[in-house]
Amino acid sequence: MMLIHCPYCEEKRPEIEFAYAGEAHIHRPVKDADDMTDEEWSHFMFLRDNKRGDHAERWWHANGCNMFFNAVRNTVTDKFLVTYKMGELPPKASASNAKLPAAKKTGGAK
Amino acid sequence: MLFNQAIEIDESLNDDVMRLSLSGERVRYSLRLKPADVAAAKKSSGLKLPAKIGGTSIAAGQTILCLGPQEWLIVALPKSREKLAGTMAKLSADYICSAVEVSHRNLQFTVTGPGAARALNAACPLDLSVDAFPVGKGTRTIFEGAPIVLWRTAEHEFTVEVWRSFAPYLRDFLAKTAKDRHMA
Ligand SMILES: [Zn+2]
Repeated sequence: MMLIHCPYCEEKRPEIEFAYAGEAHIHRPVKDADDMTDEEWSHFMFLRDNKRGDHAERWWHANGCNMFFNAVRNTVTDKFLVTYKMGELPPKASASNAKLPAAKKTGGAK
Repeated sequence: MLFNQAIEIDESLNDDVMRLSLSGERVRYSLRLKPADVAAAKKSSGLKLPAKIGGTSIAAGQTILCLGPQEWLIVALPKSREKLAGTMAKLSADYICSAVEVSHRNLQFTVTGPGAARALNAACPLDLSVDAFPVGKGTRTIFEGAPIVLWRTAEHEFTVEVWRSFAPYLRDFLAKTAKDRHMA
């Protein structure tokens, strides 16, 4: 079984205690939904990168500390490069985790 | 199942390798505080709230586990019912917090014997070696399909809190996996 490091429990815990919760760092648009086009709104709601490679995503330690956190996981190898607390930005690229994705904004957030 | 109704434990769950027993009635509270209030709330309530996730404070008649950031489970003997209710009412009045009585949500089992860790590991994926899960450590985790709260009180002694409706499942699972524990 894969072990995932929970940044709140500060230890590696078995994979089945966790639940995947979609792509991370999707900013909610600043504009009111009523002032946005359907296209802009659907972009925020539904469109995701579905990246092949290092992917920033949310995870939930559902059967543990019950906290959501973020992780960068390689979608090809299923290897977790880093996990970090909610509200933190992905750690800067280093020798061990080169080219991490940066936080990004979606349509309507301009 | 009524809150004070014991569930039957078959004799097959009581041998030299492992013994499962049902604890008596307990009073339980789920407590959540804001980070900034923890120190003051600890002082005014007198509750020994462990600071670190996975930490426990085990005293005669009352165990407190830190399950998540600023989240605690308090499990006490029924004789503390009034006192705890008063403590929680005062916390609720003094702070913006969540202090919920959940006494009847769980049943409590103890799992003892040299095969206790092995028995639990049939359903719980945590590393329960003493190095990784020492005496005094406690956590929310999973027992096959059932969420549980588990803590270690001695090398060969664990306490399990499980939702009442899952208790027969936990018992039956331990009965069904008995053969595995007896293999060296
Ligand atoms: Zn955790």
